[in-house]
Amino acid sequence: MTTALALACQHCNLPIPRGRAGDYCCDGCEIVRNAITEHGLDRFYALRDETAPAHTTSATYAELDDPAFQRVHVDATATGDHHAALYLEDLRCTACVWLVEATPRCIPGVREVRVDFGRARADVWWDPQATSLAQIAHHLDRVGHVVHPYRGADRDLHRRREDRALLVKVGVAGAAMGNLMLLAIALYAGLFGGMAAADTAFFRWASMLVAVPALGFAATPMFRTALGALRAGRLHLDLPLSIGIVAGLGWGSANVVRGVGEIYFDSLAMLVFLLLVARFVVLRHQRRASSAAELLLALTPSRARRIGADGAIAEVPIEAIAVNDRLSVRAGETIPIDGIVAAGTSAIDAGLLTGESRPVDVGPGDRVHAGTVNVSGPLEVVATGVGEQTRVGALVAKIAALATRRAPIERLVDRIAARFVLVVTVTSAVVFVAWSTVSIALGAEHAMALLVVTCPCALALATPLAVTVALGRAARRGILIKGADALERLATAGTLYIDKTGTLTEGRLAIATWLGDVDARALAAAVEAGSAHPIARAFAIEGSPVATEIREEPGRGITGVVHGRHVHVGAPSWIRERCTPRPELDAWITEVARRGETPIAIAIDRTVVAVVGLADPVRSDARTALTSLARLGWRIEILSGDDPRVVAAVGAQLGLDPARCHGGVSPEQKLAWVEAARARGPVTMVGDGVNDAAAIAAATCGIAVSGAAEVAIEAADVYLKSPSINAIAATAHGAVATLATIRRSLRISLAYNLTAGTLAAVGLIHPLLAAVLMPASSLTVLASSLRSRAFRDRSST
Amino acid sequence: MTALYIVLPLALLVAAAAVGAFVWAVRSGQLDDVETPPRRILFDED
Repeated sequence: MTTALALACQHCNLPIPRGRAGDYCCDGCEIVRNAITEHGLDRFYALRDETAPAHTTSATYAELDDPAFQRVHVDATATGDHHAALYLEDLRCTACVWLVEATPRCIPGVREVRVDFGRARADVWWDPQATSLAQIAHHLDRVGHVVHPYRGADRDLHRRREDRALLVKVGVAGAAMGNLMLLAIALYAGLFGGMAAADTAFFRWASMLVAVPALGFAATPMFRTALGALRAGRLHLDLPLSIGIVAGLGWGSANVVRGVGEIYFDSLAMLVFLLLVARFVVLRHQRRASSAAELLLALTPSRARRIGADGAIAEVPIEAIAVNDRLSVRAGETIPIDGIVAAGTSAIDAGLLTGESRPVDVGPGDRVHAGTVNVSGPLEVVATGVGEQTRVGALVAKIAALATRRAPIERLVDRIAARFVLVVTVTSAVVFVAWSTVSIALGAEHAMALLVVTCPCALALATPLAVTVALGRAARRGILIKGADALERLATAGTLYIDKTGTLTEGRLAIATWLGDVDARALAAAVEAGSAHPIARAFAIEGSPVATEIREEPGRGITGVVHGRHVHVGAPSWIRERCTPRPELDAWITEVARRGETPIAIAIDRTVVAVVGLADPVRSDARTALTSLARLGWRIEILSGDDPRVVAAVGAQLGLDPARCHGGVSPEQKLAWVEAARARGPVTMVGDGVNDAAAIAAATCGIAVSGAAEVAIEAADVYLKSPSINAIAATAHGAVATLATIRRSLRISLAYNLTAGTLAAVGLIHPLLAAVLMPASSLTVLASSLRSRAFRDRSST
Repeated sequence: MTALYIVLPLALLVAAAAVGAFVWAVRSGQLDDVETPPRRILFDED
C-alpha cells in the first residue's frame, strides 16, 4: 500500500514512482513545471480541469527556420510580421489554451498566438527581427505542447469556405421563413375574418418578393445536386425536392400576378429551412469526426538528424533528406526514412507497419522502414528511400487512391426517391388531364397543388435526423462516425475482418507462461528494470529490488547482480552459451513455442532456473464482443501480419474456427483479401496499423480502433476512442437500429404524402391544410428519430 | 389599415438588415470556431 501514500507529482498529480527523487513523476513533468514557473504562468494550475503527465521533447525545432520550410509554411503580413500555423499536441482544456496564448508574454517579439481548440491549431504572428519560429516552437514544447507544422491548411480553407456558404443559406432561409410565416398568419386570418382585396393582394405581393429571391438563393445546393445527378443519369432525393420548390415558387408567383389561386410560400420556406439545418448539422458532425484525420501528416516526423561529411549532426526538415544521406535516429524516435542500418544495434517496433507483435532486433546491414519506432538504442541509418518512395509513403498514396475510388453506396432514401419522382410526375399528369375535362385552369391548379404538397420534406429529413441522433449519441460513447453512409454500410451483416495486434490483443508484450522457478521473477524484474526494450517492459513489477552491474547485449539478453546473485535474462541460445542448461530446458522451450509465445530463459548464478513465454494478451472483452457480432450475422475472420502460430493461439482463445484465422498476411495481401471478399458481399475491416489502412480504405466500411496509426484513422469510416472491442459490436447494433429508425420515418412521411397527394388529386386540398400537414409530418419524423434506440446506453451489445 | 403600407416594407427592411449583419458575421469568420471563444472568456486580462 506504499504507492497509495506516495507523494503526488507537482505537475500532473500522479503518484511519484518509488525510487525517484524529487517532486515529479517524470522528467517531462519537471521540465514543463519549471518552464511554466519560470515564465510566471502559474495560473495554469488554477485554470486547468484535467491533469495528465506532461509530454515534451528536447527538439530544437531548427528545421522550422530552414528556408525550405519557411517558403512553404510562413507568410508575411502587411506590417512586416510573419505568420505560420502550427499543430499542437495535448491541447486538453481551457488552461492549455491560456498557456499557449500567453506566449507573447514569455518571448519578446511574438505579437499574438490564437488557438483553434477544435482543430488543435495555433496561429502565430511574430516579428522576424526579434525572434524566430524555432524559438516559439521550442517554448511551446517546453510548456508541454509538442509542435508540428500544420500541413492541412489548404484543406481547412476549402472546408471553411463550404461551411460558411451553407451557414449563410441557413440564415437567409430562416429569416425568410420567419417573415413569410408572419405574412401568412395575416392572410389566413383574413381568410376567416374578411380582408379587403387590396390588402390581400399587398400581402401576397410582399410574400412573393421575400420568397422568390430568398428561397431561390437558399435552395441552390439542392438544385445543384439534382442537376448533377440528372446529368450523371441517376435519380437523387434532391430532384423531387427541387421539382416541388420550383413548382411552388413558380405557381405561387403566377397566382400572385393573376390575383387568384393559392400560394405556398410559407410551407416552402419552412421546408427549405429545415432541410438546410439538417444538412448543416450533419456536416458539422462529419467535420468533427474527420478532423482527427488531420493528424495524418504528423505520422512521419517532420525533421531528421543528418550526419554531415565532417560527422557533425544537423537538424534538417524531412523534405531536405536525399537518398544516401546518413541519419542519426535516437531511441524512442520514429524512423523517418527507409534505409539500412550503418551503425548501432536496437530493437524496432514495426507493429504499426506490419502488425508484428514482437520487436525486431536490428544491427548493421539490416533494413529499417519509415514509420517504425526505434525502441532501445541509437542507430545510424543510410537512407535508401525518402518520402513517397518509402514503403509507408507508397501505402499512403495507395490509400488516397482507394478512398477517392470508393463507390458511393446506393442509399435507401435515393432508391425510394427514384420511384417517388416517377409516381408523382405520372400522377400529376393524370390529374391535369382528368381535371382538364372540366377546365384547363382547374387542371393546372390541381396538378401544381399535387406537386407542391407532395414535396418530400419529411422524406428528406428522415435520414439526416436519424443519422444526427445516432452520430451524437455514438460520439458520447467514444465512437466517432465520419459519415452518414457509414451507418448504412454497417447495417447489413457480411464478412468482418479483424486485425489482431492492438485490436483483439492489447498490443504490448506480457508474461503469459512461466515454467520453472517462480521466485526468480523479482530478480529478473530487477535486471530488466534498467532496459527500454519492449521485452524488458513485460517483466516490470513494482517494488523490484535494485540491480547493479547491468550489461545489456542488444537483441540477445541482459545480465546484472541482484542481492549478490548473478542474473542472466535473454534468448535461450544466448543463455545456453553462458550458463549450465538443465534437462527440462528443451521441453520448456518447445512448450512455449507451441503456444505461439516468445521464449525467454532466466539463469541465476549461471544455472538455468526458468523459461518464460511472452505474448500479447487478448483483450478481456474480445470474446463476448465477437459472440455478439456473430449473432448479428457477421462472419468473423482474423487477418494479421503476425506469426501464424501466434494468430492461431489467439483464435483458439477466442473460440474461432482455425480456418478463419489468417497469420503472416502482408499489408498488400490484406488488401487483396478484402477486395476478394467484397465480391461476395459487404466487408468490414477493423484495424489499427498502417498495414491495415489500405484494407480499411478498400472495405465497404472501415473501422480504426483506439491507438491506431493516423493513416488508418484517415482511411476509416468509424474511429473507436475506447480500446474495448465491445464498441465494434455496439457500432454494428447501433447501425442496425439507425436504419430501422430511418425506415420507420420513411413510412411515416410516405403515408403523409399519400394522404396529401390524394386530397390534392381530388381537389380537396386547402393551403391551410397543407400548411398544417407539412410541419406535422416533419415533427412526427423528428419525434420518431429522437425515439430511436440507436446507441442508447445499454440498448446494444 | 393604410399604416401597413408603410410599416410592412419597413419591417422587411429591418429583417433584410439583420440578414445582412448575419452574412457579414459569417463571412468575416466569426462563426468558424465556436469552441475556443467560450473558453477564452475565462481568462483574466492581466
